[in-house]
Amino acid sequence: MNLNNLILRETEYVRIKSVLMMTQKDLRADLALLIDRNGQQIAFEGPTYAIDLTSLASLAAANLAATDGLAQLVGEPEFSILYHQGKHRSIHISDVAHKFSLVLVFDESVSLGMVRLRVKRATAYLEEIFRGCLRKIEGNSGAPRESTQAKSPIDFSDDDIEMLFWVMKPKIQK
Amino acid sequence: MTFINYVARELNCKVVYYGPGLGGKTTNLQYIYDITNAENKGKMISLATETERTLFFDFLPIDLGQIRGLRTRFHLYTVPGQVFYDASRKLILRGVDGVVFVADSQEERLDANLESLTNLRHNLKEHGFDLLKIPYVLQLNKRDLPNIMPAEELTRLLQVKGEPVFEAIAVRGEGVLETLKAVARQVLVELRKSA
Repeated sequence: MNLNNLILRETEYVRIKSVLMMTQKDLRADLALLIDRNGQQIAFEGPTYAIDLTSLASLAAANLAATDGLAQLVGEPEFSILYHQGKHRSIHISDVAHKFSLVLVFDESVSLGMVRLRVKRATAYLEEIFRGCLRKIEGNSGAPRESTQAKSPIDFSDDDIEMLFWVMKPKIQK
Repeated sequence: MTFINYVARELNCKVVYYGPGLGGKTTNLQYIYDITNAENKGKMISLATETERTLFFDFLPIDLGQIRGLRTRFHLYTVPGQVFYDASRKLILRGVDGVVFVADSQEERLDANLESLTNLRHNLKEHGFDLLKIPYVLQLNKRDLPNIMPAEELTRLLQVKGEPVFEAIAVRGEGVLETLKAVARQVLVELRKSA
């Protein structure tokens, strides 16, 4: 599956959220998070108030990238699963379609076997959603853009760019 | 690769600070962290050795506010500068949108600067990027030290494509914000072109 030009629309996003919700509820997990391989968050479910998701996504992606490097060093194409067992909480990171990763944070009441079972099911559902996205893109290629489509928000001016950075206050130099 | 989340109306860009060891990449990020409003920055993560040399990367997410209703976030990374951490350095460049090269202005670090620049070019290529096409800024750091090379000469030796060059003293914050603004502007302009 070549997912380099993937466009996720709201319908797919909602379906992804429902897969994450089902997995999170089944495992009573603290968090079910889908990230891309560069560390960007796609969607999450779970009572995550105590977890910094931006940092988690970035570190999980780095961890996976390092693991990929390790796999290549020992002649394996990949290590598709990463599991970190803690005293109270554990993290399970698995590959989805070679482009995304599913990150689960759960407590000691859940067995690893159950996690693997639910991850397998969730991965199959997620991959099906991504295949559906690709079919839509291929189906639409060459077709005129929908007239109802809003103007791209990327159409910003140089002034818009200059307006950024107000959140930073340089210190006064002595 | 810029990630645009239309559902959450967010724009996420990745900028990597590259350069030789002890050149001031982490110091750049620390200064940005210090001057950014608390509600606009995430936690700064430093994966460093006991002697505070970067082992894997530093990471700082900042939120620059809205642009045409899109929340604009920059994820800033540094790479480990030491030569033997090349495998880690390569990983950090995955999905990069813009690069800042932090050069050490001291005369004795010229070879290290040149070696790091060659390494950057090579590692970008491995990820399918071309240094000549990617948003890129050169920062000449440590301008307060006594044994530095003249800025013009260093620019002549290190500038690769007419990119913006900034003189900086990162420990005092001089030139840091200007550098970030310049690379962020290039990333956003590039994004607009490709949209």
